[in-house]
Amino acid sequence: MASSKVHAAPILQIENLKRLFGGLAALNGAALEIRENEVLGILGPNGAGKTTLINVIAGIYPPTSGRILFEGRAITNLPAYKLCRLGIGRTFQLAKPLEDLSLAQNVMVGALFGNGGTLKEARRIAEETCEFVGLGDVERGISKLTALEIKKMQIAHALATQPRILFLDEVMAGLNTDETREMIELVRKIHDRGITIGIVEHVMRVIRELTNRVVVLDWGQVIAEGPYQEVSADPLVISAYLGEDA
Amino acid sequence: MKTRNRWILYAFVTALLVTLPYYTGTYLLSVAGTILIYLALALSWDMLLRSGQLSFGIAGFFGIGGYAAVLIFTNAGLNPLISILAGGAVAGVFALIIGTAVLQLRGMYFAIVTLALAEIFRVIIRNLPDLTGGPEGLVLPAAIFSGDSTSTFWLILAVAVTALIASEIFQKSRVFFALTSIRNDEVLARSSGINVFKYLVIVFAVTSAIQGIAGGAYAHVHGFVSPEGSFSLDFALLPMAMALFGGMHTTWGPVLGAVLLGIAAEFLKLQIPYGHLLVYGVIIVIAIILFPKGIVGTISQKLQAR
Amino acid sequence: MKELFKQRIWQWVLASLILAVALACWKPYVLVEGIQRSSLYAMIALPMALVLGIVGIVNLAHGEFMMLGAYLAYWLNVHFGMDPFAAMFPAFIAFAVIGVISYLTTIKYVLGAPELNQLLLTFGLAMILQQLANLVWTSQPLKVHLGYVSASAAIGSFSFGTFEFVYVAAAAILLGGLLLFLKHTRLGQAALAVGQNPRGAKLVGINVDQTYLIIFSLSIALVGAIGAIFMTRHSIFPLVGGAYTLKSFCLIAMAGMGNLAGIAVFSLILGVSESLVLSLRGYAGWADIIFFALITGVIIVKSHQRQIR
Repeated sequence: MASSKVHAAPILQIENLKRLFGGLAALNGAALEIRENEVLGILGPNGAGKTTLINVIAGIYPPTSGRILFEGRAITNLPAYKLCRLGIGRTFQLAKPLEDLSLAQNVMVGALFGNGGTLKEARRIAEETCEFVGLGDVERGISKLTALEIKKMQIAHALATQPRILFLDEVMAGLNTDETREMIELVRKIHDRGITIGIVEHVMRVIRELTNRVVVLDWGQVIAEGPYQEVSADPLVISAYLGEDA
Repeated sequence: MKTRNRWILYAFVTALLVTLPYYTGTYLLSVAGTILIYLALALSWDMLLRSGQLSFGIAGFFGIGGYAAVLIFTNAGLNPLISILAGGAVAGVFALIIGTAVLQLRGMYFAIVTLALAEIFRVIIRNLPDLTGGPEGLVLPAAIFSGDSTSTFWLILAVAVTALIASEIFQKSRVFFALTSIRNDEVLARSSGINVFKYLVIVFAVTSAIQGIAGGAYAHVHGFVSPEGSFSLDFALLPMAMALFGGMHTTWGPVLGAVLLGIAAEFLKLQIPYGHLLVYGVIIVIAIILFPKGIVGTISQKLQAR
Repeated sequence: MKELFKQRIWQWVLASLILAVALACWKPYVLVEGIQRSSLYAMIALPMALVLGIVGIVNLAHGEFMMLGAYLAYWLNVHFGMDPFAAMFPAFIAFAVIGVISYLTTIKYVLGAPELNQLLLTFGLAMILQQLANLVWTSQPLKVHLGYVSASAAIGSFSFGTFEFVYVAAAAILLGGLLLFLKHTRLGQAALAVGQNPRGAKLVGINVDQTYLIIFSLSIALVGAIGAIFMTRHSIFPLVGGAYTLKSFCLIAMAGMGNLAGIAVFSLILGVSESLVLSLRGYAGWADIIFFALITGVIIVKSHQRQIR
């Protein structure tokens, strides 16, 4: 079970968030709050709006309507680069690493622009962060990395921006049992540093082990919220995943 | 190559170039000057390309710089050198304004708008004869430095060196990381805290200013500007071919391309007086198909693979 | 939603009709000439739209192929006395072959490459074609003089050239022909499928590469033949094609991908606007800017609409 030094104060508040793409409502009145220093699981069947939620929070595109508050201030329409600097970090399911740069340089991008600072400082932060996530030989080119290492690099990149809250978007996808264990440990380490974590996952073992609380999305709305034990027994949640008759 | 050795090499090459007028004749000097102008253009084009944005606007800002330099010199009576810098500044300001409007666009839309730029500038200038001399252009009373080939060469060398320094700054500072990230995946770049729009506008303005300075220098050296001459697509075609051939996204690629193709062009001009531009088109096509990374890029790729 | 759309369309149609009538009373010449001019633009733009929509690449050499078609027709006229309209047929065939060769030697290789490479390649191709024309024919503008181009008619005191209505007819035939081809022939439907989803098309057994080849060559063949028509009324020189490439792209961008009929509509708007400016004494030189100003404006507006910030 995750650590219990959770503060009651919300670090992120999402109010009635709607996001339309053409006629399709990817988010349809989603509302939730994330408490400081918790590990929140974000669950839901495919197409429920989980990635859209993260994209809107992180500023990739603005919501069609609704409000987002980060540490009490409204950040609803701020662009992604500002939000990154304010402390909202995230990983991508499918990101293209910079192939012309080495591993360390990839992470440096996060350090340079997520914080400001000189090239030297960014280099130092990058190297420290790589060590933290367990990546060695940082001068390697991207083509020489394993799939797990690439995932770690993406996390390192996000960490290098010094986030206060970090969204992990399906980082466990495609990992075997040992690799998943390694990742779980890494997420714990990140959490121990005081970073709030929102984790989108389909691998339930991970959710069970890491999270205090989960929210479940379906059709762009939050349909359930609470500790995993309770939520996983909620008939609404079960039918969302398995269909009406289950 | 060790840093110290590299600086020695730079010093040596610089000394070689600066003293070039003392042991070459005027013909070779003017060829070298032309190569250096194209080198500056090729570098400035590549610098924007590093952000992933393709611009055909070189000819446009080159011409604007030329006209601005001539007009400022003629009307404000400023020192020709100052007017060249002013020409660059004007081009840069134009680019700033245009960029702010147009750099929301990406890919082919941006590229095509820049292709239209030279046309637009040309039409505007052709239609304001009182200001710009119309279709005949403007002739300066005298070329800069009264046409002295040594001083002219040094002027052009200074322009080329400026472009070189700018390119290296782009390659060695945080700008390098920003541009490479933007080129790779803009969404990822934004999520890394990069203000993409700001970087693109600044790069566009700086590179256009360099093109403007080159245009101003060229105008003063040759002593005239004209709608057809100053905005000719040659000033886009040749630098692009040079940067492609030598290797995109590097400083030394465009330099190598400019030197090699520039020398080759001189030979060709002597053999086939009318067809040599054809070769540039062929070079672009072949380079894109067979070695899109250019000489420098292909070599460094092979080295990395080892 | 659909109600609103229909309403706005009729508003636009009504507004345009009113404007057209006003123009007809004030400067009838402008209206007539504008329609003729716009037909030429539409004709040239349609094959380029075909390639962009189906093969997915912007052919910056498009105008140059037309230019070469015009030169071919010129050559046939001067050396064999062939009428340009008759020359359309050999031109079509010749440029179909040229299209095939161009595709197989160059275009094919950049289809998977980044957009930038495609733009650069076709730009290089355009330069090659321009220089070839320059080498063979020099930059001296050439023109043929045909009797029938000065045919004119009169409505009351207003007389106008009637020859250019050939352009209008040709444009209508081309647009109709393309629409029929795309919607009602197997090849056309396959092409549409490829344009929308190449991988899906492959899965259902459509030969995507062959489709690309055919559509590209068709586009070049068409624009080469159009060059013959172009030649009847315009002087030709190596650089003449470039402006048409740009204007075609303008029209395609404004109409939106895949909207062939929209190209006709926008070309009308632009052709008439150009004509109008040309008729204003003292401002004639600015006519070319209309296209570019409008395109920049429209693209900017559209990019704001489409943007995900």
